[in-house]
Amino acid sequence: MGRVRSSKSFFLMLAFLMVVVAGLAGCSENSSGESGGDGKWAGQTIKVQMIGDFAMEDSTDPITGEKTKGVHVLKEEFEKQHPGAKVEFILMPWEGYTEKTQAMLTSGEADVYQMPGVADFAPQGVLEPLAPYIEKDEDFNLDIFIENQVEGWKALGPDSDELKIYGLPFLGDARFIAYDKKLFDQWGVDYLSDHPTMDEVAEKAKKMTGKNPETGEQNYGIWFRGDWSSAFTLIDTAEGQNGRWGTGFAWDEIKFEFNSKEMVNGLNWLLDMQDYAPKGLVSNQGSENWMTKDNNIAIMLNQGPGDTVKPAYAQGLEDRIGIAQEFKNDEGRGGLFAGSPVAIAKDSKHKDLAWEWLKFATSDFAQKYVFEEMGLVPSVNSALEWDSVKEQDLMLPVFDAMKTPWTPRYPWGSAQPRFILTSEIESALTGKRDAQAALDKAQKESTEWLENR
Amino acid sequence: MAKDSLDINVGPGAKSHANRDVQSIKQKKRKSQLTWYIFLIPSFLGILLFMAYPIFESLRLSFYQSNGTIENFTGLDNFKTVLTSGPFWNSVWNTFFIGIFQIIITIPLGFIFASLINSTPKGQNFFKVIYFLPNVTSIVAAAMIFAFVLHPEMGIVNYLLDAAGLPTPSWLSEPSTAKWGVILLAVWHWIGFVIIICLANLQAISPEMYEAAKIDGASGLQQWLFITIPNMAGTFAFLLITGWIGAMQRFNEVYVLGGPNGSPARSIQTMGAFIYERGFTGFEFGIASAATYIMFVIILIFTFLNLKISNMKL
Repeated sequence: MGRVRSSKSFFLMLAFLMVVVAGLAGCSENSSGESGGDGKWAGQTIKVQMIGDFAMEDSTDPITGEKTKGVHVLKEEFEKQHPGAKVEFILMPWEGYTEKTQAMLTSGEADVYQMPGVADFAPQGVLEPLAPYIEKDEDFNLDIFIENQVEGWKALGPDSDELKIYGLPFLGDARFIAYDKKLFDQWGVDYLSDHPTMDEVAEKAKKMTGKNPETGEQNYGIWFRGDWSSAFTLIDTAEGQNGRWGTGFAWDEIKFEFNSKEMVNGLNWLLDMQDYAPKGLVSNQGSENWMTKDNNIAIMLNQGPGDTVKPAYAQGLEDRIGIAQEFKNDEGRGGLFAGSPVAIAKDSKHKDLAWEWLKFATSDFAQKYVFEEMGLVPSVNSALEWDSVKEQDLMLPVFDAMKTPWTPRYPWGSAQPRFILTSEIESALTGKRDAQAALDKAQKESTEWLENR
Repeated sequence: MAKDSLDINVGPGAKSHANRDVQSIKQKKRKSQLTWYIFLIPSFLGILLFMAYPIFESLRLSFYQSNGTIENFTGLDNFKTVLTSGPFWNSVWNTFFIGIFQIIITIPLGFIFASLINSTPKGQNFFKVIYFLPNVTSIVAAAMIFAFVLHPEMGIVNYLLDAAGLPTPSWLSEPSTAKWGVILLAVWHWIGFVIIICLANLQAISPEMYEAAKIDGASGLQQWLFITIPNMAGTFAFLLITGWIGAMQRFNEVYVLGGPNGSPARSIQTMGAFIYERGFTGFEFGIASAATYIMFVIILIFTFLNLKISNMKL
């Protein structure tokens, strides 16, 4: 009996040890991590974090239904170009990317980061300034990037009051006004001009609200998202009147102008536009038919290329969709600067190799991959010459939009003032407060937050 | 033979032999216990790393201004900021409003449904499954569907209201109706659980009590009022306390429906969403940690009150 029990406990112990060993093996670093092969970069491995719908293996694109190559393509090419080097990817979705990036930076998880929040992270001293790499690398030239992109991603370091380069533009992005040419035709309204004014948009939106003269169906002149991105929609209206959100980039220099005359006019304009929009703006509803053949909305404010270009071609609506620029000021600037740069972590052990990755990520090979396989927007000038870009007419106004947004990007874009302003815009859109009162409150709360932070 | 063995057993040598046996049994028991403790180590490690450590780390953070990498000690400033913050008290109000109406609607309604199911001779299992299905549905998925159910123009709720000649609210696009949209979702999601728990208790009530009442001439309603309901007191207390704690921690569905700041106009931002907004979208971990501890105290106080009110003994 004793033997039976002892052999039973032995097996239990053995089973436990196997579980622990398996667990530890699963948690351990990739055994091939530092082995490398022969060559200049032998023994060096970099970990690259990427955000979005990237996948390691080939897959089927859910929008186009076409086969998409995984990022193994980038890995293979980079390792071929850099003998001995190894690349490991850490892929993550957009959902919660800021907190995940923060956690990864804190624990030194990766060498290279796709970093839309570079303005938040650079002041923490966790990113490598790139000027020294750019200066000493004769093979590299910042002129390869679309105008305004490098400038837009500049950020403040921990001990500096001057904007510096902490990331190279990797993915381009922009905001623009999209419209449905078919509805314009049915209503007999001229298409939007390339640079429409608020008056032009309002006039045309008003004309196209009601029963469609051809189909008899209810049409709406305009739609904009009244919740999550409404702060940026409003600020663009202010920029269109030569106004601005405020001034400064470092927190101790920022001064908000949320209740300026232009902002109040802009919010009143959005309140007027609500009359020509379907119900549900504030809960991101009412635009369900957009980008379908049954679309019932003529003009869409504050749209991005990801929501527009790829779906338009996937749905066969490329001839029906038009793109006009957001409201710009007299200097031709306005609208949200967006996209993703790539940056090197301060505690990366292989910074030279990480720099090589940054150059690779902004090379034509990688940029073509992100456009042709992923449908994302390239950040380099050479893209205008690619056949794959030329085949998509809708990309041309997107590149134009990338050249003229407001830069540097709104530094409070992921901080409390954005949520304060968003909530007050919602208060106005839902009739809780008038525009002036809502923006006065937003100004007061944001300024108090700034003083107490 | 038996005597011999008895002799052997009672001799001095036998005593030490017996001691050895006792020791050996103790050793084996200890060894066996040790084996099981080794198996418990992963769980204990998990509790220490993912529960105990974050709880204390959060307490530490609540005294700092922290964005995860840069920290400055600020004493009780974060608590002061949270306690004087309008949006925080608005989130407390929203949490209580949604929670209270969820509880006062779901528990009585669930009990009524459970009583009806219990009195149905046929199809009990069918009804149990039908009502319990929402509870096993992911609340995130359910919230996404409810955004369509409550769509101001295409939603089925407004379609039915319109068909009945009633006004059709904008639901999630209006601060006043958005909360009721969340309550509707919460009731739909939780009622299956309430029904199952009530049914379990209903079936445990002694049939003799009903037979005695029948003999005394009690009507069905009287039996329900004077036998069933008093016997359900413990179940109601259990549902009140678990429902209350769940309601205080509400986050998932309001995040899906209204984002971290509880659109529209913070009308559905709960305490959990407030913590998420300040901590994970604004990198104000100190403020978020202080708000977490304040929320903990609020839940503690109200759970204590609930225990007192419901006379439930733990």
